[in-house]
Parts: sequence; structure tokens; C-alpha cells
Amino acid sequence: MSQAHQKRQVDFQVIAEWVDPGSTVLDLGCGRGVLLEFLKTTKDVFGVGVDVSQSKATSCVKRGIPIFQGDVDAVLNRFSVNAFDRVIFSRTVEELQKPQRTLSRALEVGRSVTVGFINHGFWVNRFNLALFGKRTVNEVYPKAWQESRPRNPFSLSEFEGFCREEGIAVRRRRCLSGNWTDDQKLLPNLLAGYVIYDLEKES
Amino acid sequence: MNDAGKTWSDSDGGEVGFVEEHDFICTEPFTCEEGGHLSEFTLRYETYGHLNADRSNVILIEHALTGDHHVAGVHSMNDRKTGWWNHILGPGKPIDTREYFVICSNCLGGCQGSTGPSSINPETGKPYGLDFPMITIGDMVHAQKRLLDHLGVESLFAVIGGSMGGMQALQWAIAYPEIPKRILAMATTARQNSQAIAFNEVGRSAVMQDPGWEQGNYPQGAGPKVGLAVARMMAHITYLSDRGLEAKFGRARRETMKAGPDARDHFDVEFEVESYLRYQGKSFVNRFDANTYLYFTKALDRFDLYGESGNLAETFKNVKARTLVVGFNSDWLFPPDQNQDIVYALLEARKDASYVECSMDLGHDSFLLHSQELYELVRSFLKAPH
Repeated sequence: MSQAHQKRQVDFQVIAEWVDPGSTVLDLGCGRGVLLEFLKTTKDVFGVGVDVSQSKATSCVKRGIPIFQGDVDAVLNRFSVNAFDRVIFSRTVEELQKPQRTLSRALEVGRSVTVGFINHGFWVNRFNLALFGKRTVNEVYPKAWQESRPRNPFSLSEFEGFCREEGIAVRRRRCLSGNWTDDQKLLPNLLAGYVIYDLEKES
Repeated sequence: MNDAGKTWSDSDGGEVGFVEEHDFICTEPFTCEEGGHLSEFTLRYETYGHLNADRSNVILIEHALTGDHHVAGVHSMNDRKTGWWNHILGPGKPIDTREYFVICSNCLGGCQGSTGPSSINPETGKPYGLDFPMITIGDMVHAQKRLLDHLGVESLFAVIGGSMGGMQALQWAIAYPEIPKRILAMATTARQNSQAIAFNEVGRSAVMQDPGWEQGNYPQGAGPKVGLAVARMMAHITYLSDRGLEAKFGRARRETMKAGPDARDHFDVEFEVESYLRYQGKSFVNRFDANTYLYFTKALDRFDLYGESGNLAETFKNVKARTLVVGFNSDWLFPPDQNQDIVYALLEARKDASYVECSMDLGHDSFLLHSQELYELVRSFLKAPH
């Protein structure tokens, strides 16, 4: 398995750990449906993916994964409160138009929300910018800025600050080191490459 | 549905070649949902491919308002055109006749060989006309169920249809939840909006106000030809799109138009789009019955899966089939949001359902056209692990 491939699926185990067997899951920005396929196989979930791309939606159809092709916000707005046990954002939040609004709606539609994202406070990302004045190009972000989709990078500490301000309860957190495999407990905002949160609306 | 073209063959797969029509005569009386009765009826149908040993490879195709049972292939060497979905059905094509046994029948109430208002009423020896009972989308499906019973088919691998065909496909999943395993509905709706009903009413008015209609009692070969042609011309515009028409015709003119000072010279065909619509109208009256047009458009208007409760998810509660609904971004007759509503309701009812939107410029009729994206989608849906 290539490192890029491994990294693409790094949060699967953690995400799956927090998904109850037989529960209902909405995966926003589901891509080709690989995570949902994994959850369907390992956790027997009723899972639905959302993605704006037709070719990705077709890939989900090919996998036999329910897919709603459309804009994440438009689809979220059509579901009622607590329509799903869990809403998942796996590397989706940094591409949202209005993350605050979308996350707040997701916390209504899902009883729990999983957010997995790349920590842009990770030292390598800081180093590239500070020393070379360039953003990181690696196996996760293989393309130069002009060929990439718009993104809104943020750090672990910025995200936690946001959760505090919004009154979002962090039930669980997993920080993975730069290799996206081992746990990173020490100085996570500096040393964690990837982080995953289990969130709920503060009751 | 488009009358033009479809004279070419598809290079992506083989051809089904020569096909034969069959008639299923049901002698068991049939009670219609609106209360009418038929002592017997005929469904004309075609099949493609071969039924496998455990009869698990049957795909039922549902035609749209003005379509018919002739989906693919030709009837004789003299046929200039193939069936209406020839490019999607055949050996190696998205609906692969090497794998599936495909059935399509002309809807009950139709005019292409199945019993409808133009058929002879056995009780009077004359065409039914308006003595033919009112028909619903549900009736079409129940009649097809009789055909499947006759053929010994107890399970459907998939039901596929667009527009009115999509309505029938959804109706199959609701009326007979144990039979279809997959539903593929395109460019369709769970109920028409006011605009779609309005267009149908203009069409019916054109037919019924033509003196040739004679309260539906016109003799065979005659009838409200002008009214039906006008209805068709108008409806045909709703199957296309602004961009589609613009790309195809723009403001192109016929060269023969020589306008002198006399105003009388100015109202013949001038623009290419006029010529096209007149052709559509004219060719339509030669193949379609005006009363069937009234009956079918009324069936479309009354189709309402929201039911009395107004809750679509409730209607879907017993559905077992996996469903894929495909909307087309340029379809303004049954627009994407009406297609989406079907899937939202299915998901709310916790059914295995998907919505995919094809980006095509040609409006409602896009589902009938060549599109590699659509082919890939159909293939993927049929092949997906269940």
C-alpha cells in the first residue's frame, strides 16, 4: 500500500471505532464511497454519502453505496433534526464555503459529528511556510496551488477554539503523529499531522 | 419523445437486430383504479436477450408518454429507424442483452398494439372512444404484472424508465415491493407540479377543441389531427431546453422563404425551428391516437405518490428495491429538485436510494440521448454488489 493510499484511509479505523454497529451515518464529501463501504462491511451501518461530483457519485453507485449527488449545505438542509446517528466530515471541513454554518447544521442533523482534518499547525507545514515561504506539497497535497481546489487550512488549536466559542462538546479526540499512524499525545498542535474529533452539541 | 434521427447504429456495442412483437391477451377481467372495467385486454410487447435458468435476469423497461414497446432493433429490412432506446440496449451495451432478458410492453390504454381507446370494444364492435375506462399509472403497472405472470417471471432484476416510465418504475416498487430488486428512474417526479399539468391541459384543449375530435368518436384514420399536432408541437418544446434549441437551430432560416409585400407570404415556414416542430407534429399524428393522448396525460396529471397524507416517505415505507434516481440539470418539465425529492423521501424511509444528476443541455429528453456518463451510471447501477 502506498503512503498516499494509506494516508487517504488513515482515519477509517478511528472513525469506525466511534460508529455504533447498525447505526445511521451521513458522510459529507464522501468521494468515491470508500469509507462508507468500509463502515457498511465492518459496522453494518445505514450509510449515505454526499458529494458534488458526478464521477464520484457514479463510483459510489458502482460500489453499491447510497449517494446523494449535490452540495453539502443544500443536502444537509433537507434532512430533519437527528435524522442520522452520526454525520462524518473526513477531510471535508477545509473545503466548506461556510464551515461555521455547515458544522452547526451538521450538529443538528446528526446526534454526533465526526470531524477529521489535517492539522496545519503541524511543524512541517509551519516549517515550509516559515523557511521557504511555500505551502507544503507532498503525497497528501500533491498538486501545486493553481491546480488545487480552494481550501481553508486551519490548525488543531484554531479548531478547538472554535468549538469552545460555539459551545460544541468534544467527546473524544485522537491526534496522530506526522506519519498519521501513531498517537501523538505531546504538544499535538505542533506535532500532530492529523486529528479526529467526536463532537456533540452541548446539551 | 424525439421522432428525429436514431437511424445510425451504436459503435459501443452490438445490435439486437431483428425483433418480433408479441401479443399477450389477458382474458381475466381487469378492474381499473378509477373504477372502470375491462373484460379482457391485450398488451403488445417485445423481448430482448434470453431468460436464464433461475429467471433472475429480467429487466422491465417502461416507456414514456408517447413511447412504445419497441425499445431496440428493427422489425424488418425496410425499417428506417431502430427502437427508441437502441443505443442503451443491446449486446455489450449498458443494458446488456447478453446478460439480461429485457421486456417492454406498450402501456394499457396505449395505441401501439395494446388495448386502448382506439381498440374495438368487444361489447359494441366499435372503437371504445371515451367508453374506455380511465387509466392510471397504477393500472399500467398492474396490467404489466399480468404479463409477467403469463411469462412465469416472479422477480425483476430491475425496472428502468424515464419520465412517465420513471413513474411506472417507482409504482412497481410501491405496488409490488417483493418483485423488483432495483429501480432506475430518470427525469421523473413523484407528482407533477402545476406547470406540467398546465402544459398537459393546453395539449388536451387543442385536441378536444378540434372539430375532428367528435367527443372522442372519430372514425379510424380520421380524428383531431390538427389539434393533436399542435399539442405535440407545444409538448415537444417542453421536452427540450432553451440551450438545446438554440444550439440546434438558433435563428437559422429556410432559404425558400421569399417574402414579398403581401402579408400572406409571411406565415409559411420561415425558421428552421418552425419546420422542425411542424415535422414533429405531423409525424406524431401518423403514429399516435388522440384519445390515448388524453388518457395518458390525465394519468400523468393524477399521479401523486404523496397521497392523501402528503407524506412521500410514508408511501415508500414498504419499498425493498434499491433505487437510483437520475435527474438532468436542463430538465425544466420534471426538474432536478422533483427527482431529488423522491430520493430524500426514500432516505427518510431508510431505503437504499441514490440521486445522481447528469449535466446535459437537452432538457427533459436528455435521458433518451447519447451520453457516456449516463451509460456508465446505468452499467454501474446494474453491476453493483447488492
